[in-house]
Amino acid sequence: MAAYPRMKTFKVILSFLITVSLVYALNRSWSGVPGVDSLPALGRFLDPFHGFWANAEDQPAIPETLSLPGLKGEVKVVYDSMLIPHIYATNDDDLYFAQGYITASFRLWQMETQIRGGAGRLSEVLGKRLLDYDRSQRRLGMVYAAENALQAMEGDPVMSKVLASYTAGVNAYIETLNAGNLPMEYKLLDYQPERWKNFNSAMLLKNMAQTLNIGEKDKEMTVALTMFGKPMIDLLWPDNEMPGDPIVDKTGQWKFNAIKFDSIPLVVPEGVAANRHTADDPGKDVGSNNWAVSGSKTATGSPILCNDPHLNLSLPSLWFAIHLNAPGVNTMGSSLPGAPGVIIGFNDSIAWGLTNAQRDLVDYYKLRFKDNSMNEYFSDGSWKATRKVVEKYDVKGQEPVYDTITFTHHGPVTKDNLYAFRWVSHDASNELRTFYELNRGKNHSDYMNALNSFSAPAQNFVFASVGGDIAMRIQGKYPVRRKDEGKFVLDGTKTSQEWQAFIPFDQNVMDKNPPTGFVSSANQYPVDATYPYYVTGSSFEAYRNRRINQVLSSLTKATVQDMMNLQLDNYNLKAAESLPYFLSNLDSTSFTEPEKKAWQVLKSWDYINNIESQAASYYEAWWDALLPLTWDEMDVDGNFIDFPTTFNTIRILKEQPTLSFLDIKSTSEVETARELLLKSFKLGVEAVEKWKLERKMDPAWADFKGTIIRHLLQLDPLSVRVKHGGNHDIVNATTRTHGPSWRMIVSLEKTGVKAWGVYPGGQSGNAGSKYFSNMIPLWGNGKYISLQFTGADNIPNALGTTTFKPEEK
Amino acid sequence: MRFLAHIIAVLLLSWMLQAFLPWWTMAIGAFATGLFFRQGGFMSFLAGLIGVGLLWYGMMWYIDASTDSILSAKVAMIFPVKTVGVLMMVTAFIGGLVGGLASMTGGIISYRKKNKY
Repeated sequence: MAAYPRMKTFKVILSFLITVSLVYALNRSWSGVPGVDSLPALGRFLDPFHGFWANAEDQPAIPETLSLPGLKGEVKVVYDSMLIPHIYATNDDDLYFAQGYITASFRLWQMETQIRGGAGRLSEVLGKRLLDYDRSQRRLGMVYAAENALQAMEGDPVMSKVLASYTAGVNAYIETLNAGNLPMEYKLLDYQPERWKNFNSAMLLKNMAQTLNIGEKDKEMTVALTMFGKPMIDLLWPDNEMPGDPIVDKTGQWKFNAIKFDSIPLVVPEGVAANRHTADDPGKDVGSNNWAVSGSKTATGSPILCNDPHLNLSLPSLWFAIHLNAPGVNTMGSSLPGAPGVIIGFNDSIAWGLTNAQRDLVDYYKLRFKDNSMNEYFSDGSWKATRKVVEKYDVKGQEPVYDTITFTHHGPVTKDNLYAFRWVSHDASNELRTFYELNRGKNHSDYMNALNSFSAPAQNFVFASVGGDIAMRIQGKYPVRRKDEGKFVLDGTKTSQEWQAFIPFDQNVMDKNPPTGFVSSANQYPVDATYPYYVTGSSFEAYRNRRINQVLSSLTKATVQDMMNLQLDNYNLKAAESLPYFLSNLDSTSFTEPEKKAWQVLKSWDYINNIESQAASYYEAWWDALLPLTWDEMDVDGNFIDFPTTFNTIRILKEQPTLSFLDIKSTSEVETARELLLKSFKLGVEAVEKWKLERKMDPAWADFKGTIIRHLLQLDPLSVRVKHGGNHDIVNATTRTHGPSWRMIVSLEKTGVKAWGVYPGGQSGNAGSKYFSNMIPLWGNGKYISLQFTGADNIPNALGTTTFKPEEK
Repeated sequence: MRFLAHIIAVLLLSWMLQAFLPWWTMAIGAFATGLFFRQGGFMSFLAGLIGVGLLWYGMMWYIDASTDSILSAKVAMIFPVKTVGVLMMVTAFIGGLVGGLASMTGGIISYRKKNKY
């Protein structure tokens, strides 16, 4: 053989190797490449046949029939014009199977991601940057909590079946997945969905509990107590600021034998340090409004119930609207992807809604370990053994990481090995039962029974019925607290410091058909001073509740439109109460041109945070500068003590303008409220001027605020910006990142229940679908969708119908 | 003519394979056409590049037109190549490159120089 064929062989091998290498490189994802956080498997992702292109759709695929194993009978599913599924089944098992299947078909990636987030398993798919987050999740005992809840749910024969059917439905959908119809996020991040488990529904509820009921400032208040003393604590962080009416006022009517314990002396463990690194509490924008107006105050003579939970606004949306129909149940409303049933909604007889009950349900116990092995800890004079759990983190792109979590009888030990963490959500409970029963409820007593299964996260349950009742019940599992118990870190060596008993559910705060003709809640202090149990919480709302009550009190012959107007109400009560005082403290002679203009704009403001208002921008910028300037003392070497509330800050500025706290520590002069207000005004105007310069536009409030509904992956191109009024402390509580995540109004008329709802998102979780974000403009413009929950043939403008059939064997 | 036929063969064979099988099976198709058409390395590469490139571009164009760029516009911003047009060109080139290299490998193997001996 001559040289030429050898040359050819070389060429063949080289060409072959280049081809194979390129295919290999394009068929795998890359993480940790310098300069790139992670790169998807480009070949697979970009492939026009099965890559992300296959997720783009003109209309959602709605097959006429689906044959699925596991079904008992036929299920008919009609998708209305908003892609809300109306599910008609012949039995409960098929109903929840279909709910699981359909929810997964639109929201599978979100469902799994929420569970990974809760259980601390995000680094498995997103890499090591999520490892710290995962560790902190597991340290909270989230898995432990979910396992306890699962045990309770599976121990209930009814709920056990419901969960099993839902899980089977989700898995039946997962079975249909292939390279092409796999949700885009899996393609982007290059992993496959796991099979769904009953555990996941329990985990989802613990996620909600973490969002809603984990608020505390125990360590921070302990530091504050040592630094400032008890009288100052009571001035700055009172248990009840009494801004207005509590949720339930039945003064003198609490006629039961309350459980009582002797108070415990306030002994605060030494050496407690705050470890919060920002004063900005991410939970502060989480809240909600709900109310029910009795027929005596409405135009139709029937009760109207309203609810809007304020949560982190995200895409895919937290909520998935659904209508469930089977013998014995006909209910509609919003569901949580990952949990069977309707969470906030209505049926032919009743409606219910939720707001968060702000109560302290978290405690930290300072521990004393025998030695560094942490095998034993001291309790009531003897050494008790700890339990250790080894946690494995399968971090993407690297070797697994192990971590040992130590458990005491209180709960898991914190990262610094100093405290045990006790949270009411660690306890076994069966909340899904509540929703199962509410979905089928006929009257007030069904509602009361349903709530008896509900422990956490504690909620204010509003209720109204076609029968004409309205009610409110603040339901949750609450420890019987002694005065000041739980505000500070507790001594973990004495069982006398622990929770001794829980308030019996029939002694929880509740009310039915009050003489005012309405019930309402907006995360404010729950109850009047004659309620026999001590109530404390990390914060209580002060403005929304009063505005709602003012409007509801003044209404007669209320219409659904009035209710919509109230949910969309942008009146800034906080500004109305503070701005005149703030302005009266300013000396306008020293103003620059922009400050003069801002002053003029603010002076003529009507206190409405609507989309166009420039005054709202100036006021909020002023406030955002004022709050940290006022409480500069709360920065303890970079660790922050939670600021006193907005309401109390304004009260102190007004009533105690020379309080030592108002002095700015970093300046040599002694500041009072007057100097603080001027300084923060200038800072606020500066911030607005800077914004104007950058954006080259007028600071209209909606633009200045810049509400953004973020995709869970925090990718800007998948997120949606929306111009909307409101803010925190306003009934329309839309901030930059949080807001009414579901607005619902139900008119409980005897001739048929009518309902309206909307949420800032869309039914589909697929960014390649029109129904991914189609409700955002409606929500942004204050529009509602009429929610139809009649027969399958009466759904107007249906997109299509699927008949689910049992697969023939 | 032969070159044009090669391009069409790449396009059709890759299409048939890719429609049902993983994306990289189009490389096997392109490789087979390279073997069959005996055009040598360079012309085989070009035929594979153009054949797969056209196939990918055509498919993307069809999806994009029927879905009004609903997803491609977002993906173009994620990467970020900014526009759908650039995204489609880059994607077609990536697919084409794989097709071209595979076809070239086949072409080199089967190519016999005329009048050599």
